[in-house]
Amino acid sequence: MREPLSIRVTTYVLLGIFVFLVAVPLFWMVATALKTNKDLYEDFSYWPRRPTLEHFVRVIEREDLLTNIRNSLAVASTTTAVTVVVSALAAFSIVRYRYRGREWVGRLILFKYLLPTAMLFVPLYAIVVALGLGNTLKSLMLTYLSFTVPFCTWMLMGYFRSIPPELEEHAMVDGCTKIGALVRILIPLSAPGIVASAIFSFTLSWNEFLLALVFTSDHSTMTVPIKLSMMVVGDQYIWGQLMAGAVLASVPITILYFLAQRFVVQGLAAGAVKG
Amino acid sequence: MAIRPGSIGVALPAPARPARWPSARVRESLGGVGLLTPTLLILLGLVLYPFFYAIWLAFTDKAVGSAGQFVGLKNFAYVIAWPQFSAAIWNTVVFTTCAIAIKLVLGMAVAIVLNQRIRGRNFFRAFLLLPWVMPAFVVYLVWRWLYDPLSGLINYALIDLGIIATPIAFLSDRGSAMGSVIAAHAWRNFPFYAISFLAGMQTISQELYDSAEVDGASRVQQFRYITLPGLYQIIGVVLLLTTIQTANAFEPVYLLTGGGPSDATMVYTMLVYVMGMVNLRLGEAAAVSTLFLPLLVGLVLVVTILLQRKARD
Repeated sequence: MREPLSIRVTTYVLLGIFVFLVAVPLFWMVATALKTNKDLYEDFSYWPRRPTLEHFVRVIEREDLLTNIRNSLAVASTTTAVTVVVSALAAFSIVRYRYRGREWVGRLILFKYLLPTAMLFVPLYAIVVALGLGNTLKSLMLTYLSFTVPFCTWMLMGYFRSIPPELEEHAMVDGCTKIGALVRILIPLSAPGIVASAIFSFTLSWNEFLLALVFTSDHSTMTVPIKLSMMVVGDQYIWGQLMAGAVLASVPITILYFLAQRFVVQGLAAGAVKG
Repeated sequence: MAIRPGSIGVALPAPARPARWPSARVRESLGGVGLLTPTLLILLGLVLYPFFYAIWLAFTDKAVGSAGQFVGLKNFAYVIAWPQFSAAIWNTVVFTTCAIAIKLVLGMAVAIVLNQRIRGRNFFRAFLLLPWVMPAFVVYLVWRWLYDPLSGLINYALIDLGIIATPIAFLSDRGSAMGSVIAAHAWRNFPFYAISFLAGMQTISQELYDSAEVDGASRVQQFRYITLPGLYQIIGVVLLLTTIQTANAFEPVYLLTGGGPSDATMVYTMLVYVMGMVNLRLGEAAAVSTLFLPLLVGLVLVVTILLQRKARD
């Protein structure tokens, strides 16, 4: 059945408006990064007249953004590696073992989800200082586990539940240990879910702002979000470099997300089936 | 454990079956708890302990670098009398309700459009998801630049089109600061509402619409009596998950206005940050966040009750 013309026209007009609203800020970020300072502040233009990579070079050389990118990568990958192992073990335990009190873990995870971060950062800061981890990357690697682990455990619980336990039981009849069944059967079968949870953990850590702002205080330990936000205060005519930094911080993570979207969608769907 | 070929032939003494300890049930429990231990330690040490520690801190005069002494309700009395505190309550409520309302309407509109038969639907769905996929801090830095009164795009375009004569100081004018922060937040977060609603719409049977069409129901009636009721549950889940998130938004305020001008956008998360990290008064900062806990729980309860009532109708 074909839609009436009026409906089709309205649909495409609205779609055009939404695409415009989303596209303008994104376009402006990229255009600013590619413009010369003259085009930015003296001789305004919508398009970059003389596209240049000058701002990218400057944000990397003068602002030494590479150090911050390295920090962000170190924190996000360490957190992710620990998270995936720890959450997979926990999810396996909750889904495949029977013991009293395991339903409390699910409740604790939900509690964490509803607990405001604004309430946690003050005590976490006191804990980090007490542990002698103030102004270190380790403080971030440790505290980021507080949100990546509950999230990934929850997601993997859903994933593991969607896989029939019979396969592991057969393997165990054939002499495999329970842990052996996890490593040889369950983990290979739930690879998409594990990839998805790793990507989520990486993105969450890469984008985290509040804890990084509170815990780190100088250039050598700052992650990318904090470094870029400090540049706003520092210099008035910094927008070209700032947008170049914004492009560098967001393009890889966006590509990663879309490459893995298939896994992510599957992972979410599996997690949603049974909480 | 690798078994060396030479060791295979060694006969092990057969364990006496009935005396086997621990029993299968105990071993199952031990194994399960063992695997769970790292996660349990993280949840207890980095979530539950800080939560109770925050409440304890609210009753002490702890500052950075000094051990806190118990001071009773002094922090609460101080904080409640502080003029920024009442501003923070009001601003948090305004920010949360306006932001959610905009995200709800915009998300629904986008979901309806994407649910139509349009060419390149997968492309548009991915494209309209971009604001939500981008890192939040990047989005707010970009918006700060868009709002810039001297060289920002919005002011330039509005003057170029002849809509305004002089630039608007979006973020430093008391009248427009809150609206500008809300708009940036809504731009970044509406896609989550849109994809959730779209997923819900795609589970509603086409037959319902076909028979409504036969009965002569208009598009608006179809939306009102088929789509919306079919979405109540998913709207409920989305609101439940995002109410707390929205009320706790920190990045838009910190990166766009820092709580200013003269506290016009001072939401409670920003106030906790200022008290704890700028004034270095951890006890008072913890008191602010503890005082907001009932408000947040109340917000969630209101949302849940409203939804349940709606679901029963």
